[in-house]
Amino acid sequence: MSLAIHTEVKEPAETPEETAKLAEKVSVRRLNFYYGAYRALSDINVNLYQNKVTAFIGPSGCGKSTLLRILNRIYDLYPNQRADGEVLLDGANVLSPKQDLNLLRAKVGMVFQKPTPFPMTIYENIAFGVRLYEQLPKADLDARVEDSLKRAALWEEVKDKLEASGLSLSGGQQQRLCIARTVAIRPEVILLDEPCSALDPISTAKIEELIDVLKRDYTIAIVTHNMQQAARTSDFTAFMYLGELVEFDETTRIFTNPRQQRTQDYITGRFG
Amino acid sequence: MMDAAVAGRDIALVHAEGKRATALRRFRRGDIAFKSITLVSAITVLVLLAGVMVALLHGSLPAWRAFGLGFLTSESWNPVTEKFGALPAIYGTVVTSVIAMLIGVPVSLGIAFFLTEICPERLRRTIGTAIELLAGIPSIIYGIWGLFVFAPWFQVHVQPLLIDTFANIPLLNQLFAGPPYGIGMLTAGLILAIMVLPFITSITREVFETVPPVLKEAAYGIGCTRWEVIRRVVIPYTRVGIIGGVMLGLGRALGETMAVTFVIGNAHRIVTSILAPGTTISASIANEFTEAVGELYTSSLIALGLILFFITFVVLAAARLMLMRIAMKAGN
Amino acid sequence: MSSVSATPRYRRRRWRNRLATTLAIAAAGLGLTWLVLILLVLVVKGVGGLSLEVFTEMTPPPGSAGGLLNAIVGSLLLTILAVLFGTPLGILAGTYMAEYGRYSKLTLVVRFINDILLSAPSIVVGLFVYEIMVAQMGHFSAWAGAVALAILVIPVVVRTTEDMLLLVPTTLREASAALGVPQWLVIRHVAYRAARAGMITGVLLAVARITGETAPLLFTALNNQFFSWNLNAPMASLPVVIFQFALSPYEDWQQLAWTGALLITVAVLGLSILARALSSKKVQI
Repeated sequence: MSLAIHTEVKEPAETPEETAKLAEKVSVRRLNFYYGAYRALSDINVNLYQNKVTAFIGPSGCGKSTLLRILNRIYDLYPNQRADGEVLLDGANVLSPKQDLNLLRAKVGMVFQKPTPFPMTIYENIAFGVRLYEQLPKADLDARVEDSLKRAALWEEVKDKLEASGLSLSGGQQQRLCIARTVAIRPEVILLDEPCSALDPISTAKIEELIDVLKRDYTIAIVTHNMQQAARTSDFTAFMYLGELVEFDETTRIFTNPRQQRTQDYITGRFG
Repeated sequence: MMDAAVAGRDIALVHAEGKRATALRRFRRGDIAFKSITLVSAITVLVLLAGVMVALLHGSLPAWRAFGLGFLTSESWNPVTEKFGALPAIYGTVVTSVIAMLIGVPVSLGIAFFLTEICPERLRRTIGTAIELLAGIPSIIYGIWGLFVFAPWFQVHVQPLLIDTFANIPLLNQLFAGPPYGIGMLTAGLILAIMVLPFITSITREVFETVPPVLKEAAYGIGCTRWEVIRRVVIPYTRVGIIGGVMLGLGRALGETMAVTFVIGNAHRIVTSILAPGTTISASIANEFTEAVGELYTSSLIALGLILFFITFVVLAAARLMLMRIAMKAGN
Repeated sequence: MSSVSATPRYRRRRWRNRLATTLAIAAAGLGLTWLVLILLVLVVKGVGGLSLEVFTEMTPPPGSAGGLLNAIVGSLLLTILAVLFGTPLGILAGTYMAEYGRYSKLTLVVRFINDILLSAPSIVVGLFVYEIMVAQMGHFSAWAGAVALAILVIPVVVRTTEDMLLLVPTTLREASAALGVPQWLVIRHVAYRAARAGMITGVLLAVARITGETAPLLFTALNNQFFSWNLNAPMASLPVVIFQFALSPYEDWQQLAWTGALLITVAVLGLSILARALSSKKVQI
C-alpha cells in the first residue's frame, strides 16, 4: 500500500498514543448540511486539534469549503442553507440557534480565497476590528496594529505607509493584511479558505511560512486544492469526496499510507 | 476522548465575559435598532402610496356623492351652476397621450436603432448623453418653448397646410378642421412627443443592450443587414421590454402637466378636430385649482386627480411587470 | 465571383436596409435638432434679460423693473428642505431592501411600489400634500411645498441606494462578518463607504429631478411676491414664478420668465453632468 509520492512530507509529529492526548479545539459530530433540499454534506465527524494545522483536501465540489464555512456559521448570511448536527468549540455547540454569532466569529476567524481589504487605510483595516471589542488608548492600539502586522509578516513592508489605502497593496500583501486583520482581534481558531489560490508562488510561499508560525498560538484549518501545499503545511489532513469525509488522519499517514482506496486514488492523481 | 462533563453540555454556548460581553450587548442593541429604523422607512414607501389614494378619495368624496359615476361621462364643466364632468379632461388626456405615443415611439425606436447599430463608436457616448440630457429638461421649459416658439410657428406654417391638405378627404377633414389656433390638442401632443422621446429612447437602448452579442454576431455572420438584425433578432428578443418601456413613457405622458398646460388651450370641450383647444386632467387641475371656489369645485378637481392617479397606476404597474420579466430573462 | 450580389431579392433587402438606416439617422437628427433648438431659444431669450438685478431684486409688479431674488432663494430653500426630509428616509429604506431584507417578499413589494411612485404624476403628489397639510393647516406654506418635493425625492434615493448597495461585493461583506462585526456596523463602515459615490450621485439626480418641478408647488407653497424666510407662509419658487409670468400678457414679466427658465435649465444640466462625472469616477472598490 505504500506509494511513491513526489511531495515533501513533514516528519510525523506524534505517535498514535500522543494523538489521543491532544486537546480537541473544535469537534464536528454527525454534521449534515443542506442547500435547500440538496444535501451537500453527509455525516461529517472530524476534529481540529489545538495548535495544530488541519488541511481539508478533495476534488472540486466535495464540500470542503462548505464545511469550513459552517465552523464560523458564515452560511447564516444566506437563506435556504441549514446545518444539522453538532460543532463543538471547547465543548459548546456553536450550531445552537441561541449562539451569539458575532462572538463566535470573534473567536473563529476566517481568511477568504479572494483578498478583501476594506475600503479604508491599512491602519484602519486592522484597528476597525479591534475597536469593536476593546477601547484601547492610542498607544496600545498602535502596538496592537504593529503586532498583528508583524505576525502576518507584513510590518516591514507597510510600516511607513500605514495611512495608505488597503487597496493599494499587491495581491499577496492584501492577503497578508487580511490575515493581520484576523489575528488582531485575538481569535482562537483561524480558518483559511484556499488562501493562496489567487496569489503568485512567492506570496504563496510566504504565507505557508506564516502558517507554520501562526499555529504556535492558534488552531488552524486550511482548505486547499493543492495537495503539495497540504502536505507541506499541515499536521492532520482530511480527505473529502462528494460531501463525505473519506479519511482523516495525520498528514504523513494520509500521504504515505492511506487506509482508503479512494484517498490513494486521489493522491496519486487518478481523479480530481 | 470526550469529557463526560461535555457530553451533558451540548446546549452550552460559547460565551463571553467582561468587555467582550458589553461590546456584544451593544452590537445586539444596535442591530435591533438599525433594523427597525430601516424596516419602518421601507414600509413608509408603501404607506405613502396608500396615503395618496386615501387622501384623494377623501378629498373627492363630495364630488362623487354629488355626481356619482356620471361624473366620468358628463361633458359639462360649469363653475357657476356647479355642474362638473370629467369626460373632456379624460378625453384630452387620452388624445394628447396617444398623439405623443404615435409620434414619439417610432422616432425613439429609430434613435435607439441608430445608437446601437449605426452610430460610430466614438460618437455613441456623446449623442447618447445628449439625448439623456434632453430627458432631464424640466417640463415647464417645454411648456414655455411650446407656447412662445412652437405654437406660433405651427399656427402659421403647418396648421393651414394640414387644414388645406385634408379639406376634401372625408373623416380626415373632421380631424384636421380649422381654424388654426396654434395651440390645441395636436400641439400639446407634439410637445409631449418631444418630452417623452428621450425617456423611451434610453429605456429602449438599455433593453437593446441586453441582447447577447453572440446572437447579433450570428445574424451578421450569415449576412443580415443592420435593419434585418434589428427587426428579426433584437426586437423579437426584447419585445416585452420595449412594450414595458413604451408603457412607462405613456405613464409619463398621461401625468405630464406643465408641458401641456401652456399649449392645450384649456377648454372643457370635446371636439373632433385635434387642432382645437381642449384640456387634460393635469392641465385643468393646474389651471383651476388655486382659483376654485366652493367645495364642489375643489372636490371635482381632486376627483380628476384621483382618476389620473388610477389610470397612471394601472399603466405603470403593467409596465413594471413587463420590465421585470425581461430583467429576469436577461439575468438568468 | 459572387452570385449573391446581383439578385433582385438582395437588391430589395439592401434598399430596405438603406431606407431604415436613413430613417433612423433622420430620427436621431430630429431628436438632436429639438434639443439644440430648445436650448438655443432658451439661451437667446433668457440671456437678454440676464443682469445683476435678476439676482438682487424681488419679483416686480407688472410694468416695473425687478428680479427673481425671492424666487431663487425660495427654490433653494425648498430644495434644501426637500433633500433634508427625503434623503435620510430614502437611504434607510434602500438600506433595508439591500441589507436586512434582501431576500424578503416585503422588499419585492416595496421595490415595485417605489418604481411606480418614481413615475407618478407630480401634480397628484401636490394634491396629496394639499389634502394632508394645507387643508389641515388652513393655509399654504413652504413646509407643504418642501414635503411635496420630498415625496418626489424619496423614490429616486431609494432606487439608487438599493442599486448601489447591491453592487458591493458579497466577499467584502463576508469578510467583515467573519471578523464578528455586527450587521449594522458592516453596513455603516463597509457597505456605505464602498457605495458612497453612487449614493451621492443618487442625491444629485434627485435634486435635478425636483429643480424644475412646478405642479406640486402650485397648491402647496403657492407663491409669494415678496422676499420671505417664513416657512409657515407661502413661498416663491422659480418654476411657479415662471408659470405665472409666462402666461401673463406683460412683456417684462415674460422676459423674466425666460431668464428664470434659463437659470433652471443651467442648474439641472449642471447637476446631471456632475452626477454623471461622479459616477464614472467611482471605481474605488
